[in-house]
Amino acid sequence: MGILDYIRYFFAILLISSGLILFIIEIYGVFRFSFVLNRMHAAAIGDTLALSLCLGGLMLITGFSYTTAKFLLVVFFLWISSPAASHLIAKFEVTTNENVTKHLRKEEIGK
Amino acid sequence: MSKLRFSKRDTKDFSLKEWMDGTDDPMITGDIEMKPQRVHKDDFQTVMKHMRDYEKVERHLYDSDKNMGVRIFNKLYKVSSVIFTILLIGVMLYVVSYLPPVGNASNPDNNIVAQRYIENGLQETGAVNIVSGMILTYRAFDTFGETNVLFIATCCVMIMLMLDEKTLKEQEEQVQNTKYAPMNDPILRFAARILCPVIFIFGIYIILNGHISPGGGFSGGAILGAGMCLYANAMGFTRTAKWFNENVYKVAKITALCMYGLIGSYFYITGANGIENHIPLGIPGHILSSGIILPINIAVGIEVACTMYAFYALFRRGGL
Repeated sequence: MGILDYIRYFFAILLISSGLILFIIEIYGVFRFSFVLNRMHAAAIGDTLALSLCLGGLMLITGFSYTTAKFLLVVFFLWISSPAASHLIAKFEVTTNENVTKHLRKEEIGK
Repeated sequence: MSKLRFSKRDTKDFSLKEWMDGTDDPMITGDIEMKPQRVHKDDFQTVMKHMRDYEKVERHLYDSDKNMGVRIFNKLYKVSSVIFTILLIGVMLYVVSYLPPVGNASNPDNNIVAQRYIENGLQETGAVNIVSGMILTYRAFDTFGETNVLFIATCCVMIMLMLDEKTLKEQEEQVQNTKYAPMNDPILRFAARILCPVIFIFGIYIILNGHISPGGGFSGGAILGAGMCLYANAMGFTRTAKWFNENVYKVAKITALCMYGLIGSYFYITGANGIENHIPLGIPGHILSSGIILPINIAVGIEVACTMYAFYALFRRGGL
């Protein structure tokens, strides 16, 4: 193992461990927050940032190969689909919950 | 392009409907018109009195302080449920003690059938993916039954939930005009515009590579159906109906099922009678190889995709 490999593994471990810390924060937030949108925000952090950090670390470990391309596709897919799903849930909650103004200030955008 | 139009009153459906509504009886000839009976209606006071009486009777019947039988029944119920559960657990544990140990070489499931699948599967079916080769050639009859189950299930759901076109159109207009409909959401539309082609291509890839890599008709069809649900949500059902409406659904589904039936029955008959079936197996690992597995995978994939989308659309709006 050369010095470059050591640097590579150092950055990989850094990425994966920061991703895992974010996952822990996500799970803590999902179980501790009382309002839906706060919980959804915590879950969305885990779905996008934490997962892509972990996958980035794994990509660094494997080096450039066919598997790395698949990892990149997974990150691409999740970065598009997960925020869209979170946005829809938030919209549903705001439009259907009658007591939503207890937790947040509602502003009409557009009209 | 002129069609001979019958009067609606001459059809059998209409007379059946008239008879059901009670406005006309086909058995009575002439101009006698039947009128339905007037519905008996109580006034508000009487209804309230009946309800109060009913509540009073219920209170006395199920009150454990006043009714001795209810008290005894409640105690018996608790005791007997505990006894029954303990007996059930005992019976199950007794049966488990007779089961063969996990992973033992002399277990009855470790027989000649599984050995043959593993040893001769590649040679006899030409499929690199043993599972796909197993379920679509050795056990093609079972898989045909499963595909039929999907077909019958969608037929039953259609019988129960299908709406007529007029109601559907009105409903669709109502949905389109609301601000909060998912199809009027620009973020979802943008995501769907990027993701839908990827999902469709991935589903088709999995269906076509069913005999080479993990996957096959069922999983690929499920992915295709999910992509169609996303498309219908983001772009609206009217836009989806331009390329997937009820006619396309009927043609695709029945063609797929008939294709599977024909290929499968040819395969069963030749196999059961020991006749050579002249289906080339090809070189294992190539796309065009392994005989009947590829066309059957395509048929199953179409069937599953149609079923998924039909279930979603029928439960969501009552029509394809």
